[in-house]
Amino acid sequence: MDHEKDGHGHHIIPLKVYWAVFGMLIFLTVVTVLSAYVDLGGLNVPLALAIAGVKATLVVLFFMALKYDKKVNVMIFSIGLLFVLVFIGFVLLDTLYRGEFDPILQGTVAEQQVSERALEVRRDSIDVLQGAVDTSGVTQ
Amino acid sequence: MSKVGHTAVADGHPAHLQHHFVNSEQQFDAAKMGMWLFLVTEILLFCGMFVAYTVYRAWHPEVFQAASVLLDRVWGGVNTVILLTSSLTVALSIRSIQVGNQKWLVRNLILTVVLAFGFLIVKYFEYTHKFHLHIFPGENYAYEGLDMMYVPIFFSIYFVMTGIHGFHVLVGIGVLSWIAVRASRGAFSPEYYTPVEVSGLYWHLVDIIWIFLFPLLYLI
Repeated sequence: MDHEKDGHGHHIIPLKVYWAVFGMLIFLTVVTVLSAYVDLGGLNVPLALAIAGVKATLVVLFFMALKYDKKVNVMIFSIGLLFVLVFIGFVLLDTLYRGEFDPILQGTVAEQQVSERALEVRRDSIDVLQGAVDTSGVTQ
Repeated sequence: MSKVGHTAVADGHPAHLQHHFVNSEQQFDAAKMGMWLFLVTEILLFCGMFVAYTVYRAWHPEVFQAASVLLDRVWGGVNTVILLTSSLTVALSIRSIQVGNQKWLVRNLILTVVLAFGFLIVKYFEYTHKFHLHIFPGENYAYEGLDMMYVPIFFSIYFVMTGIHGFHVLVGIGVLSWIAVRASRGAFSPEYYTPVEVSGLYWHLVDIIWIFLFPLLYLI
């Protein structure tokens, strides 16, 4: 009959903790709504995200009771969050800097040097022709 | 042992214990771990949409600021309070059964379902108001009050994110109603309340997603 002996280990959170967390969540909701009516310049977005982060943390720790849960569940959740950061971070590494590192010239450096030299030769010959036209114009 | 189950079987196992588990505690832990794994996949599902939001916001911050003003902060705030309260009631329902209070288990579950319906009703009025103004997602956007490039993309993101979140609320209503019916039939006890626990975890996640959606879409 030892099947059930270890079945009573669940942490029962006191009622006042639930109500305190709930009060905090409502308070933070009011703060975040009010802050939206004030122009804080560049601070509005970080503030709203920070408040949302605190609220989510409160829900996870107390309502979902992860604070009192098995470490393996903490690990699963943390790895999930890590992949959220990887997902957002790596996409932003692309989209925020798109265009800045794009190759502007086609081909390898050696090919670019060859075509650059060819361009110089053409430019020189054009200058020579231009000079010839100019001098012939003056003499006429 | 006999106190545990109303239907304890002959070999001494409580009725809820599956044969492949050593004991109730192991079965509870396995179910809970499975739920956390599922929640991580849910987080990453929504993360894809949060990434879309982040990229377009980073590219066109002024558009997102202009478009977010069209959403009703007050009703968004009311819905936030509704969902937070429903998170509290579902957490309290688990506590009720932990201390063996059947009556409040059922009451808290019903309260949660009622609040979830309240959320969807507010959302319904928000959506119909937007449609009335011809604010539709993507190329169907035809609101004359804000004619700006990329605003349709903001509303694509708004409707898809809140739509998929709303679908999760709908699923939550179904699951929690089913749990409430089982609870009213006395299916749960302080020794066995795993379905209440894991459904509660799911519901909290729906709340957490909204905690981020609300400021991102309505406030900033």
